[in-house]
Formats: sequence, structure tokens, C-alpha cells
Amino acid sequence: MAYKKSIDAYEFYNRAKVGEKCTQDDWDLMHIPMKAMEIKQRYGLNFKGEFIPTDADMADKLFKAGFDMLLESGIFVTDTQRIVKYTADEIWDSIRNPMPEFQLGTGRDAVTVKKRQVGDKRGPIIQGGPTGAPVSEDVFCALHTSYALEKEVDTIVNGVMATIRGLPPAPGTPAEILAAKTEGRTIKLATAIAGRPGMAI
Amino acid sequence: MIASDSHEVSQLNELKIDLDAISVIAHYHANSDILMDEQMPIYGGYAGGLEETAIVDVATSINAFVMSGASWHLDGPIHIRWGSTNTRETLAIAGWASAAVTNNTDFLMGNQYYPCAGPCTEMCFLELAAQAITDSASGREILSGVASAKGVALNKTTGMEARMMGEVARAAAGVDITEVNKILDKLVGSYEKSYGSAPSGKTFQECYDVKTITPTDEHVSVYEQAKKKLEGFGLVFK
Repeated sequence: MAYKKSIDAYEFYNRAKVGEKCTQDDWDLMHIPMKAMEIKQRYGLNFKGEFIPTDADMADKLFKAGFDMLLESGIFVTDTQRIVKYTADEIWDSIRNPMPEFQLGTGRDAVTVKKRQVGDKRGPIIQGGPTGAPVSEDVFCALHTSYALEKEVDTIVNGVMATIRGLPPAPGTPAEILAAKTEGRTIKLATAIAGRPGMAI
Repeated sequence: MIASDSHEVSQLNELKIDLDAISVIAHYHANSDILMDEQMPIYGGYAGGLEETAIVDVATSINAFVMSGASWHLDGPIHIRWGSTNTRETLAIAGWASAAVTNNTDFLMGNQYYPCAGPCTEMCFLELAAQAITDSASGREILSGVASAKGVALNKTTGMEARMMGEVARAAAGVDITEVNKILDKLVGSYEKSYGSAPSGKTFQECYDVKTITPTDEHVSVYEQAKKKLEGFGLVFK
């Protein structure tokens, strides 16, 4: 059956209010492990000690297994304790219509993210940075500049400030907001100090 | 931040979300922002074993584009015992999930790095190199890291780890997958007995001249040693 419209945040929200009820414990401790095990058996998945599959058919089975997992399980919404389900056509709508490529950053510092293949000769984009690790205020700019100075690095992924004006940036406090805003501004400064002000973060 | 920066929203483990995140997604779309949907499936967590966690990883990756309308999905299979993305099991989950999604969609996919060891140690460079090889060879578009020392120690991250990530990713690009698997088997075997005693490494201030933002001779020397070791495992730097 054709879907009425593509899934977006507004449609997801509507379904989150009326979907099937479930407790979080049932979801985490019963549904997820049992459904994953059932689908593994359905497709006879066995990675046979390989890091990357040399058997393309087995890789395709894993994709079908993941598709089935999403289709048959849906997504659990913690606030409403309800399950949002998609139809197969709605999932295929998203698979068929992703952004084919996009640009990160601006000017001469911009990079284009393009589709790669398994075994591709073209290298990936390098997003360098602490990746959420804690960084103290006094070296926050310099530490991020050390990534922006590397030619191997194309974009920056930030660390988090351990404190802001000496305050812990605890969730739900004004200090959290100040820390988040200051992190963004300081990393932009770090890229500029490295001579790459258009680098994406 | 501007529209061409990556704007993050995170799914919850496993196949869960909260409505605050849905509102954040609406905000990003209203701004036409590049949207990065992030989630790190846990090996040994709710999903269980190797193939089961990979199934959830693929489902989560697809959901990034269904639910979030993501520009790209940032993955990061992580080991429940070691808190690392660089173990044999989590690398296999990442490699298989990437190959499965890459062969069947046009989704743009990344992976994030959490080695056990800290900066200025050979183990840290070897751990992150194993993941860069896996990610580059399995078709991922963006490599994001490195949160050395599991990303929990203050100031224990430096630009040199990202340099290694880039050099190794380029070296692994285009290498035959059977050969890649052989290199990875030897490489991971060289450090996987040391998770419990991984060196915590040095802080950024100890690894760099902070004033000039230049790595110390020791940091460069450890980097070179690690590269030689990687060449010994069969990796050819370009």
C-alpha cells in the first residue's frame, strides 16, 4: 500500500502519541534481544571471523536483517512509552531519497562528502577532534587548533568544556548553555587561528 | 554554527528516541542545516552478540534517514566491557554494517573512535589505525575522532591521533578486502590482550608545546614507531 506522505519529525511525533504501549524494560530486556536473535536465525548470519565481509551475499543478508529489525520493531519513544512503526514503503522512501552528497564548511576550507564503496580507492573525509572528550578551559582553543593545523584533517569534531568560568556545565543549568555556545565559538576561533576559518565543525 | 556545519542529534540505545530529539530534528530541518544523526550500538548490551548487534546497527543506520532525515549517520559500535570501539568484535560490527549499508543504499556514513590507550602511546596509534583501516576499506565516508583514553580523561586528546587516522585511511583505501582482513587480524592481535592495562598516555600539555601548538619530539617519535609497526603488519603508506 502506498504511503500517504514521507516520514518527518511531525509525523513521527503524531505516531509517538498513539503507538502501541510498551514498558522500557520490556523493550530493552525482552523485545530487542529476542527480535535480534530471531532475525539472525532467519538469515543464518555468521561473520566467520571476518572484519569486513568478502561474501557480498552475506552482507546483503545483514542489510535485509537490519531492514526487518526496523520494520518489525519500530522505534521506542521513552517519553510516551509507545512504539512508532513504519511501513516497508515508508522505509524504502527514505532509502531511495537520501542527500546524494553535501558540503561541509565554506570557501577554500569546504569539503564535499560523496558516496564511497567497499574497497574504494578514494579516501574518506577526516573529522578530527576530541569527539566529546573533556577539555579544560585553559587549553580548549589550543587543543582544537592542534587538529585544525593538521592537513590530514578536513573538519572538526569538538570536545566538551570541563568547566565554564569555573562552573560545571551540568545538564539543565545556565552553565550548560554558556559552555555549549562557548565551545562552538572557541572552535571557530581555533580554525581561524590555524588559517582555515571556513572549516566545518 | 552555520548550515554547513554538522548539527548533531542522537538516537538512544537500542532503537529508542526521546521527543526532545524529535523537536531538535524539526529545528535543524527548518534551518536547512546539515544533520548528523549519531548512535553507538553496544556490543554485549541489549542486543547481545556480534551478529545481533550488527543487525541493530544496520536498523539504527536506516532509521537515521527515516526518522531524522539525516544528511549522514555517525556510527560507533562500542564494547560494553572495555568502552572501546577498537576491539575485534566492535570493528567487525562496524565493518559488516558499513559494507551492508554501503552495498544497498546511497547513505553517507561515518564512525567515531574510542581507543583504550591515551595519547603519545604506541597502543593508542595502533588501536585507532585498526579502526581507520576498517572504516576506510568498508566504504565509510567520514572518520570522526579520536577520543583517546576512551574519551573520558581530561585533556588526553591531540591532533596527532587525527593525523594517523588520515594517513592510515588513505593507505587502506583500495586495498583488497581479503588482504585488509589479514592485516587487521595481525594488528588487533598485537594489542587486544592489553585492554585491562592500556597506558593512559599523556595530556595535550605534555604532548605539545602549547604556545606554538607543536608536538614534542617524543610524540613524533612514538608516531613514527607506530607507523613502522603498521608497515610490518603489511600496511603500505601512500
